[in-house]
Amino acid sequence: MKLKIENIGFIGIIIIVILAFFYLILGLSGMLAVLAIMLFFMLPAYFILDNFNLEQDEKIVFSFFIGAGIFPSIAYWFGRFIPFKIGIFITFAILIATAFLIKKIKKQ
Amino acid sequence: MQIKRNHIETGIFIAVYLFALYLWTLPFQDNQIPYGEFDAISHWEIADYIAQTDKTFNQLPGFLDFSYGDDNKFRPHTLWYPPPFHTAMAITSSFSGDRMVPIFLTNAIFATSILISLYFMIRKLYGFLPAILSSFILAFSMRDIFPYLWGQWPERFAYAFIPLILYCFYMYYTTYSKEGSKPIYLYMMFLLLAINVLIHPLVFFHSIVGLSILFIFLFIKNKKMPFNIKHIGISLLIFLVLFSIFPYQSGNVIVSFFQGGEDGKSASLSRLFHWGPNPDDFRGSVSADYFSFSKMHGLWTLPFLLIGLAILLIRRDNKDILMLAWLVSLYLILHRDLIGKATFLHRSLSGTAHIFVPITVIGALAIVSFVKLPQTYKSALKYGMAALLVGLALFYNLPAAYSTLNQAYDNPFIRLNPSQIEVSEWLLQNTNENQNVSIIGPPAEILQKVWWMASYSHRTSQFFEGFLKWKIYEENREEIVNYHLLNDYIVVDYSDIGLLQDKAIMEQWQLFEQDNLAKHKLLYNKGSIKVYKYEA
Repeated sequence: MKLKIENIGFIGIIIIVILAFFYLILGLSGMLAVLAIMLFFMLPAYFILDNFNLEQDEKIVFSFFIGAGIFPSIAYWFGRFIPFKIGIFITFAILIATAFLIKKIKKQ
Repeated sequence: MQIKRNHIETGIFIAVYLFALYLWTLPFQDNQIPYGEFDAISHWEIADYIAQTDKTFNQLPGFLDFSYGDDNKFRPHTLWYPPPFHTAMAITSSFSGDRMVPIFLTNAIFATSILISLYFMIRKLYGFLPAILSSFILAFSMRDIFPYLWGQWPERFAYAFIPLILYCFYMYYTTYSKEGSKPIYLYMMFLLLAINVLIHPLVFFHSIVGLSILFIFLFIKNKKMPFNIKHIGISLLIFLVLFSIFPYQSGNVIVSFFQGGEDGKSASLSRLFHWGPNPDDFRGSVSADYFSFSKMHGLWTLPFLLIGLAILLIRRDNKDILMLAWLVSLYLILHRDLIGKATFLHRSLSGTAHIFVPITVIGALAIVSFVKLPQTYKSALKYGMAALLVGLALFYNLPAAYSTLNQAYDNPFIRLNPSQIEVSEWLLQNTNENQNVSIIGPPAEILQKVWWMASYSHRTSQFFEGFLKWKIYEENREEIVNYHLLNDYIVVDYSDIGLLQDKAIMEQWQLFEQDNLAKHKLLYNKGSIKVYKYEA
């Protein structure tokens, strides 16, 4: 059982173009900020939505908007008790695990 | 990898979106120093504080409490906004190891995300061409650019949720039947609604009105009542869990909603015949241009907008009903002062382009269908019309958008200078968190700089000039000044006075420094800025 992204080749090219663009106009910190948005907000939410009967464009768009709301909400609460940076990575792990769990439940 | 039509369309959208982001990031491409009005300062400092201290907080830190301690009406001294928006910016800042670019870039991406949601929804309903044209024209929307620059950051992002929320309900409603339905759309709708209220409550109320109108319109047309207790139960649970995740801030939303209701009672019924609020009511706080259709949208859009509106009203397909419901809901929101809810009325105007632009595009492209021609010629004519729209937007809308963004805060008196940043960093590292700092030097016209220095140093900052000049301190001025300064760190900042080339101000502060600070401990002296510790 794996988490996967459809059209990964095309999406990979798009991501490289986007990261290169931000590197060119805003430097490394701009590129890293965009990478953080894709990695933390979009990726876990995409894997969760991938378990439902949605088209790929719906999954991509909704993962951005849902991820930008859910991920920081969880990370904020972790940041109250443990270092914020560690909270970010724990949030990421929890959401990825949630995606796995939903996939597993749906398969049964 | 085979190139598909979808790939080409996505590639074109990415190009348009990156072009928009190139424009919207112009204010900080060459000058990576924070900028903006008081609202922008508040948003930046919350995100920056979380990233820099590597912790989140319940009680506001001293420098935030000083300015915003009473803004949460439900639980004073806590955050007045729910924290996800600012925490999102803190995450990118923390990950990138930079205090400025990631926060401002994340905000730019959030503010332009209406281009993504609008493109997505219009493509699903009307196809690629209307979608890409809508997104392209919206990139130059002055009604979005102004509030973005003024600092209404969370609100810009919240508006991008409206088309998605309406789309989810539309999908749930139109696919609903007794045999089968797609409840995932209803769950996502409530999830997005909950996030919407966590991002900005004002826009959440707009989403609710939009949904209500859409439901009524669809019900009238289709005579269908989708009601499934399980779907509604799960959806409400999702919403309530998320809404209660930040109880103090959600409490503030509820208290603020029921408290604010006095300022709209005098609104006249004649307002019903005007689209937006009266610019005179906002004189001095909001530019009159912001209320002008021709200056914000361009008069060239008006005929196409009216044709588009007529097409929607005549055709009334379900997708047209969605667009009309969105438009009607915005009209109702813009007239809420008639029921006594006038708070931030002008801000709702900033959602206008999001619905006007796609209707304009629908109208323009529909003109082609009026002409009797063979299909091949019609296709050519349709792309010709699309090219005309692109040309008109580039000719009429792009120049204003470009010059506004390119010149935004392009003035040394508005952004901190390197010396002010350096001293702010020194204060951050060498003073304790609840320390008050009094800043002497920047004249009242650039008071904003003092706030940015407070923000950058995470220290409470008082603007000192007022204690010497303002009438309210007239009585016992000397005593007040001494009391105010006691135990403060005093920043004497000549860096901007030098630029002003006003000898009188320079001499006034030099004299003040000599008479009042000479006996106190000088801790810092760099780049025309000194820091004293004022002790008895």
